[in-house]
Amino acid sequence: MAYIAPKDYSQDPQILAKVMKVMGGELDLSWMRVRAGAIAARPTKPGYGLTLDDINQGSYGPDRIPEIVRHNFSMAPRGAVLPPGLPSLGYRLNRKSEVWSDLAATLFEEGKSRRWAPAHDVPWSALEASERGESQQIAMRQLCTGFVSIGLVCADVPARWVWQMNQEFHEVKYLLCLQMIDATRIAEAFRKRALYGSGALGVDSRELGELLKMVFDSGTYPCASASMNLTLFSWVQGLGREIAARASNAVDLFLGTRLTQDATRFVAYGVDHLKQLMRARPAEAESLNGHLDAIENGVVGWLGARETLEPLVLLAGGLGPVARFYARQADEYFERCAAAGLGDRRGRSPIPKLVSLIGG
Amino acid sequence: MPVRFPSLEFFQALQQRTKEGHDVFEKLGYCDTRFGARIGDTLYRITFEVYECLEVGVGGDPAQLDFVLAAPAALWKEMIASIRKHGGAGIDQSLNTLTHLGEVMKVQYEDSEGHDKFYRYMATIQEFFDQARHLDVIVS
Repeated sequence: MAYIAPKDYSQDPQILAKVMKVMGGELDLSWMRVRAGAIAARPTKPGYGLTLDDINQGSYGPDRIPEIVRHNFSMAPRGAVLPPGLPSLGYRLNRKSEVWSDLAATLFEEGKSRRWAPAHDVPWSALEASERGESQQIAMRQLCTGFVSIGLVCADVPARWVWQMNQEFHEVKYLLCLQMIDATRIAEAFRKRALYGSGALGVDSRELGELLKMVFDSGTYPCASASMNLTLFSWVQGLGREIAARASNAVDLFLGTRLTQDATRFVAYGVDHLKQLMRARPAEAESLNGHLDAIENGVVGWLGARETLEPLVLLAGGLGPVARFYARQADEYFERCAAAGLGDRRGRSPIPKLVSLIGG
Repeated sequence: MPVRFPSLEFFQALQQRTKEGHDVFEKLGYCDTRFGARIGDTLYRITFEVYECLEVGVGGDPAQLDFVLAAPAALWKEMIASIRKHGGAGIDQSLNTLTHLGEVMKVQYEDSEGHDKFYRYMATIQEFFDQARHLDVIVS
């Protein structure tokens, strides 16, 4: 059922009377006499233009947001004058530590600045002269198929949470909207890569699907952020590096490099978000670690699945290089978990067992 | 005017290229990092802000940098020669490949957030070194 305004404004005599007064030249201007605090917002570093950090001063800035927002559940922007009677939009995420990262504004500005367009920026014609053999061509398309699924679900994950976040946290909401665009671009770019020329999509992976379902179904936003931004995108970032390093043409080099940079913005937000959450509410560590136990089981399924592992082996020319890649990526992932305040996860994670198994 | 590699003058020339090739770096987007290039035993500091390299220098405390790319001088020289020959690093000589496959170039860092800046800005940092294609470099 749609929300219905409490008044029928078209029939409200008070509204009609006020409109008639304005039409008669009698301006009330009461809204002009009540003003939010004035600040001196100017670009502090001209090269960046006017940034969110430049305008985040006084009551407009995030420093005064309390840990639990109780004063504003409406659509009113942070720092605006709040008249009585504003409707509640029913936000569920009203704790600052549940969503906040001091990096969010910076990552939002950076993500827009480092944008790229798959249609024009990728040197697609380089695929015409690609020197890959047939099996490697198919292997690359198989990996692309997985990235399309990852991009689509990772556009859905922030979409599932952003509307539940209080407007006071608008920097994080902006960033989540950008994450949707970034994830959509992953899906778009790798779908184009798979289908270019006489290409084709590969086989969908049940194990990847299980992992993505776990990420999507995370029960809280911190769990969703940990599983998507920290865990999933740590591995996506590594796969971007692997694709760029194994590239035989300018397209795969470009896509791998851009996938790496875009994935790392997800990672950077995830680490900083969780770090700040752990500082504010350290007791959350256990539930997050418990969630990541399940997510990492999904990661093992994905990385060990034939649809993932075998294309990587074909592109790398053997299992050994893939084992070394997995081992290094696991090291970097566990470093990030520790930096996020989740402690040393190696002992409880199933990932090291997979790395040992593959490494022989 | 020829510049010797490795030398501070080489990095100063690359710094100047980020101003002259502003459009190239603007297209790649913001890059905000202080990182190092350790060539043999010598550490060069490089500071990027917005689209430009603001400062280069020699020495200093690597702990104050986001990350340091460290490799024997011979490897760096091969990379610069490849850039000069091909107009940009080939896939085998790119920073990504050198740090990813076999880690012949090490990425040294104090914390993972600094380390991740290498990945966030890799395209810009690669382009920074690729600008050597415009220089008259004497690899010594």
